[in-house]
Amino acid sequence: MSKAKAKNQRVKQFHLTKVALALGLVLLLLLPVLSHYSDYVLQVFTHALLLATLALAWNILSVSGSISLGHAAFFGVGAYGSALLSLDLGVSPWVTIPLGGLLAAAVAMIMALLCLRLRSAYFALATLAFVEIPKVITDNWNGLTRGSLGLVGLPGLPSLRLGSYHFDISGSPTGSYYFVLCYGLVLLLLVAVIFRSNLGLALQAIREEEVAAEAVGIQVQQYRLLSLLLSGFFTGITGACYAHLVRYIEPGLVYGLHFSAIPMVFAICGGRFTILGPALAALVLYPLDQFIFHPLLPAGHEFLYGAVIILAILFMPSGFWGRLRKGHLVSIKTGSIE
Amino acid sequence: MWTTVLVSGITLGSFYTLVALGFALIFGVTHTFNLAHGELLILAGYVAYWLWKSFGIPFLFTFPAAVLVALVVCLVLQRLFSLLREPMELNSIVVSFGVAVLLQNGMLFFFSGDYRLIRVPALHQGLHLQTIYLSYSQLTLLALSLLVIGLIYLLMRHTYLGKALRATIQNREAASLAGIDVGRMGVLAFSIGALLIGLAGPLYGSIHYLYPTAGLQATLLAITITIFAGVGRIRGLILGGWILALAESSAVVLLGASWREMVSAVMILTLLAIRPQGILGREQK
Repeated sequence: MSKAKAKNQRVKQFHLTKVALALGLVLLLLLPVLSHYSDYVLQVFTHALLLATLALAWNILSVSGSISLGHAAFFGVGAYGSALLSLDLGVSPWVTIPLGGLLAAAVAMIMALLCLRLRSAYFALATLAFVEIPKVITDNWNGLTRGSLGLVGLPGLPSLRLGSYHFDISGSPTGSYYFVLCYGLVLLLLVAVIFRSNLGLALQAIREEEVAAEAVGIQVQQYRLLSLLLSGFFTGITGACYAHLVRYIEPGLVYGLHFSAIPMVFAICGGRFTILGPALAALVLYPLDQFIFHPLLPAGHEFLYGAVIILAILFMPSGFWGRLRKGHLVSIKTGSIE
Repeated sequence: MWTTVLVSGITLGSFYTLVALGFALIFGVTHTFNLAHGELLILAGYVAYWLWKSFGIPFLFTFPAAVLVALVVCLVLQRLFSLLREPMELNSIVVSFGVAVLLQNGMLFFFSGDYRLIRVPALHQGLHLQTIYLSYSQLTLLALSLLVIGLIYLLMRHTYLGKALRATIQNREAASLAGIDVGRMGVLAFSIGALLIGLAGPLYGSIHYLYPTAGLQATLLAITITIFAGVGRIRGLILGGWILALAESSAVVLLGASWREMVSAVMILTLLAIRPQGILGREQK
């Protein structure tokens, strides 16, 4: 009896979360109308969605068990690569954004050569140090990157034309919002495919027990490399989108600790081993930060991210989405991220 | 030119060792990587700056307050880390990263993002020893760093307490079986670490600009030197500090000042490439 009851309850909860997610998606799609086309609200959610893609991309690597503290390297290289190609060569951002992603993947390859032999804590420390290299090079290669002054007046994303219909992207907050929403949904779909494919299963096996995974014939290092490259590629794409949406970048900003820390905070708070969790955390925490903590504490409002990650690890290490979907997951004990 | 590099390498290197010593001790005894180490250092520097600037307290008398603040934060950190499980290294990295973000924003709130420097006029004079020029600031840095490192060395090598600490670093379980209270050794390590941070912070503020995100560089250099030396090897830490500072000053001379920040990062990556099993690897074999 009680077993059937529990199962019934779980089914009910499952349907509830499905309904809630569908409702959330509808809200996101209607946000411009609901917010009365408020520039501020749309800008905050555009940025939240961009950070959500960052967390999703970070999670592709993290699902294999490696915590990176150096994703700002990919973000910065993607942003600078795409910005310089479009600024100096006059290539359309639609072409340079994927190129920025490829450049970031190339940097991920270099990171792999230097760091992928390392495990857990030492991998994290090495990635933390790694960011300094592209940062200092960008800062000093004045001839190419204009150095620490940064790049201003970057070309925005050109508007799309479908027959007589004109879809403005960079010019209007609504256009930017829908563009990033599309990118976010595509990436979410890709992450879902990756996680459920053989690649995703192999990565999870490596995380759970590397020796056993190797024993059943999983090429551990090749899979870890692939996840790092994919993660770096999409982080680079996000960086490139950021460059063309904000249209101003500088080394201290795009290679800053912020863009390394934020995806980890969102992924862990949302649930590292889930598909949706990292994106949901971004969509909840960033607006919370901007709408509530920023007006209260103009200097120092980002303490929120430090506080939530400490609390998450102490009390909810599988993240809130992971917690909700318990039963699909390996159990993680409090006070640990594994 | 190169004598200047050598002099600044040795003085700065000794100071780097002072910065790394607390980090290495805490890591050795408790197996926690405290990524907020640099932020704690900057916080101690800010406390000294604030007392010096607002109340006109002489620079050397600001040290006790800086130590006290570092001690309070370190003991809170120790409590926080004691809630974590194995693997301590990775869990402590993530949690202390959160602590670093908290401290950065706290400092931004209380001290703003402006660049601050503790300018002590007396320290800007100096003396000529034949061809070498030594500023009093460098001399203070060298003398204080070596004095404190020497005292810690004596503590570790010639007291019963030091023996217990070293035993804990070498093998926690065996130490525990021998009747050493490993938990208390952890508290002690954090307290000594806080003392070192509280002394190094004001010194840092007198030679480098303080700003809320300056801590990362200090953390990186502490990690570099600790990985170079391994834990519990004070002489190795001194050597590591000197090599790092010499490499940095050489990079400044050969490439330019802005390349300095890359030196410790390259050194960490190189050291980990040579010794991928990490700092404790040698003992585990």
